[in-house]
Amino acid sequence: MLRTISVRLVQSIPVLLLVAVLSFILMHLLPGDPAVVIAGAEATPAAVERIRHELGLDLPIWRQLLSWFFNLAQGKFGSSLVLNQTVLSAVGERLPVTLSLAALSLAITLPIGVALGVVAAYFRGSWIDAAVMMVALVGVSVPSFWIAILSVILFSVTLGWVPSAGYAPLLAAGPGPWFGSLIQPAMVLSLFQIGFLARMTRSAMLDVLDQDFIRTARAKGVSEWRTVGKHGFRNALVAVVTVSGIILSLLIGGSVIVEQVFALPGIGRLVVQGILARDYPLIQGTMLLFGFAFVLINVGVDIIYTLVDPRVRYD
Amino acid sequence: MGLAISVLTALVAPVDAAEPKRGGSLVYAYLSGPGTLDPHVASSIVELEVIHHIFEPLVAIDGNYNARPVLASKVDTSADAKVFTFTLRKGVKFHNGKEMTSADVLASFERYRKVSPNASVLADVESFEAPDPLTFVVRLKSPNAVFIDVLKSPVYPFEILPAEQKDKAAREIDIIGTGPFTLGEWVKDSHLVIKRFDGYVPDESAPGPDGLAGRRTVYLDQVRYNFVPEANARVAALQTGNADVVGDVPRDLAKRFDGQPNITTQKIFPYCMQVFVVNSQAPLTNNPLIRQAIEAVVNVEDIRGAMGQISQPGHSLVYASSPYYQGDAMKPYYDQRNPAKAKALLKQAGYNGEKIVLQTNSNYPNFRDAILVLSEQMKEAGMNVAVDIVDWTTNASNMQRGTGVWNVSTTGYCSNPLLGPQQWKVMFYTFPQVKNDHVLDAAYDAFYTSLDPKKRVAAWADIEKRVLEQAYMIKIADMGTMRSFNAAKVENFEPYYLVHFWNVWMK
Repeated sequence: MLRTISVRLVQSIPVLLLVAVLSFILMHLLPGDPAVVIAGAEATPAAVERIRHELGLDLPIWRQLLSWFFNLAQGKFGSSLVLNQTVLSAVGERLPVTLSLAALSLAITLPIGVALGVVAAYFRGSWIDAAVMMVALVGVSVPSFWIAILSVILFSVTLGWVPSAGYAPLLAAGPGPWFGSLIQPAMVLSLFQIGFLARMTRSAMLDVLDQDFIRTARAKGVSEWRTVGKHGFRNALVAVVTVSGIILSLLIGGSVIVEQVFALPGIGRLVVQGILARDYPLIQGTMLLFGFAFVLINVGVDIIYTLVDPRVRYD
Repeated sequence: MGLAISVLTALVAPVDAAEPKRGGSLVYAYLSGPGTLDPHVASSIVELEVIHHIFEPLVAIDGNYNARPVLASKVDTSADAKVFTFTLRKGVKFHNGKEMTSADVLASFERYRKVSPNASVLADVESFEAPDPLTFVVRLKSPNAVFIDVLKSPVYPFEILPAEQKDKAAREIDIIGTGPFTLGEWVKDSHLVIKRFDGYVPDESAPGPDGLAGRRTVYLDQVRYNFVPEANARVAALQTGNADVVGDVPRDLAKRFDGQPNITTQKIFPYCMQVFVVNSQAPLTNNPLIRQAIEAVVNVEDIRGAMGQISQPGHSLVYASSPYYQGDAMKPYYDQRNPAKAKALLKQAGYNGEKIVLQTNSNYPNFRDAILVLSEQMKEAGMNVAVDIVDWTTNASNMQRGTGVWNVSTTGYCSNPLLGPQQWKVMFYTFPQVKNDHVLDAAYDAFYTSLDPKKRVAAWADIEKRVLEQAYMIKIADMGTMRSFNAAKVENFEPYYLVHFWNVWMK
C-alpha cells in the first residue's frame, strides 16, 4: 500500500507542474493590473509604474515564470501582493475554515445522499422514487447563491436559530458557536451535493440490484434488509466512494460562493479576492495547493476502494 | 442634607437618554475589510474608515470639508504661500506611550514622500524642518496657495507615525498612531477590532467633534468591524442583532427595514459622484466633437432610474456648499437630452458609423447599468455602439493606465469633489488620458499660484468649464450611500461621508 501511495504521489508531479504553468499563464493572460489595485484609484500613472517596477511586473513573463519556479524549488510560494503576508500563511490561516465547512458538509451529504439514493433505487418507479429524484433535481438545479439568501431569511431573520454571517473559530469560541456559524452554510453547500450523490447512488444501486447474485440471495430466502443492505449496497459502494471523492473536491470549489454569502474567512473568499486584485503569487500558490489537495483526495479514494472491495488491488 | 438631596434627585430623576454612557461594544457590518492600515498608501473607503480612528494628521477635514488643525494647534502660512509653520499640540501621546514631537512629524512626511502613491503632491517641497519639538516647517520651491488643503485629504492621509517607523516599507508599519482608538484583533477577511485608547489627548480647544477633526471623545470600549460582502447578509445581521450598524445598504434591500421602528436608515449626501469618463486619446473620442456629441445625448433621469443606488441630479463637479461652486454656470453641459445636437456634431466631425466602445464592469451594477442606458441613448443619435463588460480590475486598469480598447467608461469619485480642485487634478488628467491641453494646464497653474481666494475660484471655473466643455468627463449624478443602525441600542451615530465611532455610545 505504501508503495502504491508513493507511486501515486510521484505520478502526480507532472500534473502539478502542468497546474503550476497553466495557473501562471492564465493569471498573466488576464487583463488588469495588480499595481493599479495596490496603488489605489487616486494614484498617478508614475506611482503605478513605480509599483510595477518594485514588484517585478515590468519584467518579461518568462523571467517572472522562471523566478517563480526557482522559488518553488526552494519551497517558497512567494508573498501575496496585497495581503502583506506569505501565500502559505494566508492559506494556512484560512484553511481551517474551509476544511471545517467541507467536513461538516460531507458529514451531512454522505448519509442523506446515500440513503436517498438507496431508497429511490429500492422503490424504483414508485412515488417515493419520483419524490426523491424530484428533491435531488431541485438540489442540483437551484443556484446555491439563491438558496443561501433564502436560508438566511428563514433560519436567521425569521426563526433566529443561527447567525446570518461570520465564523466562530473552534478553539477560541468553543464547539457550540463554531457549529452554529457553520451549520447553515454547510447545509446550503450540501444541498447540491446531496442531489448529485442521491442520483449517483440510485444509479449504482439499480445496476447492482439487477445482478444475478441479488436474485440468488432472494431465492435463498435471505432477508430483504440483508440482501439490499449488505450484498447490494456493499457492491454499489465502489461507485459511491468514487463520487464522494468528486464531491469533496466540489465542496472545496463550491465554498467560493457560500463563503462569500456567509462572510466566512476561508480559502474560497481568499481566491475570489486574489483574482479580483490580480494577486498573481496568491492565485498561483493557491491553485498549486488545490491541485495537490485533489491528488491527495484521489489517492485517498483509491485506498478506500481496496477497503470496500477486496477485489481491487494495486500491487 | 445637601448630599442627601443630591442622591435623592439622582434616584428619582428620569435617565436622560442623550446622556453619554461609557462602555459597551458596537458591531459594524461592512462589505469588506482593509487590505492595509498603512495610512500613507491607503485610498479605499474600507481602509480609511478604520485608519481615521487610529491615526491623526496635522490637519483634517471638518464637518464642512474645510481644513482644520488636529495634531497642530495652529498653522501659519507665509505671505508668498511658500512656507508653512505648524505649531504642534503639546502632550499628545502615541499608542505606545511615547509623546509626539516634530521629529515624528518630519519622519512621517519623509516616509510619505518615499512610499505614498500620492507623493507627487509633495514634489515642490524644498525642505521639511523641525526647529524645536513643537514646531514643524514646510518650505516649498514655488507658491502653493492650497497646500493646507492638500494636507487635509482623507485619501492617502498624511497621518503621523512614530519616527522609528520612518524606514518601514509600504504596508509594513506597526499600527501605532495618536488616534482615539488602538488596533485590537485583526483577522483578514473576517473582522477587525479597534479599542478605546485611554491615553488619548483630545483637542480641548474645540467644543465637540467636527468631521474628522474637533474634540473627539470615545465612550465605547471597542468597535468590531465585521466584513460581510453580501448585502442580504448585512441586512440580516442588523435585523437579527448580529450587527448594530450596517453600511452600504442597497436601495431595494432597505425596504426590509420597513415597519421596524428600532432601525434607522441614514442617507449620506454628499458621498460620491458618478461620471462618464471619455478617453481623449483613443480614436474617435480623440475628436472633441465626438466627445461633445456623446455628452449631448445624456439623459440623466433615465440613467439614474436604472441604477440601484440612491442619487441626486447635480451638474457641478463640486457640491453646492463648496466655495468653488459656480452656480448654474456648468448647467449647459449637463443632462442635455439633445440627440439632434449630437447628430449635428457627429456630422461636423465626419462620423461614418465607426464603432464606439463603451466599457464597464460586472462588479458594480450602478456602473454597468449607467453604461447600458447610455449605449441606448447614443444609438438613438445614430452612433454605432459596442458594450464591453469586463471585471472591475480590468476596467479600472484600462481607465487609469489608458490600456485596452475603450472610448467611454464610468466610475465614481468620492473624496475629490469634497476636497476641491487640487484633489481633482490627478483624476482629470489620468482617467480621460488628457495630454497637451494647454488651456487646462494654464488654468491649473493659475489655481495653484493665486494667493487671492477669488482668483482661485475663478481659476477653478476655467478648469471645470474646460473639463466639461471638452467632455473629458460627463457628470451623471451625485451618488449617496445608505447606512442603517439600531437606534434602540446606538446613540449619537451621526451621518458623515466616512463612518466614525467617536462620540457614539450604547444605550
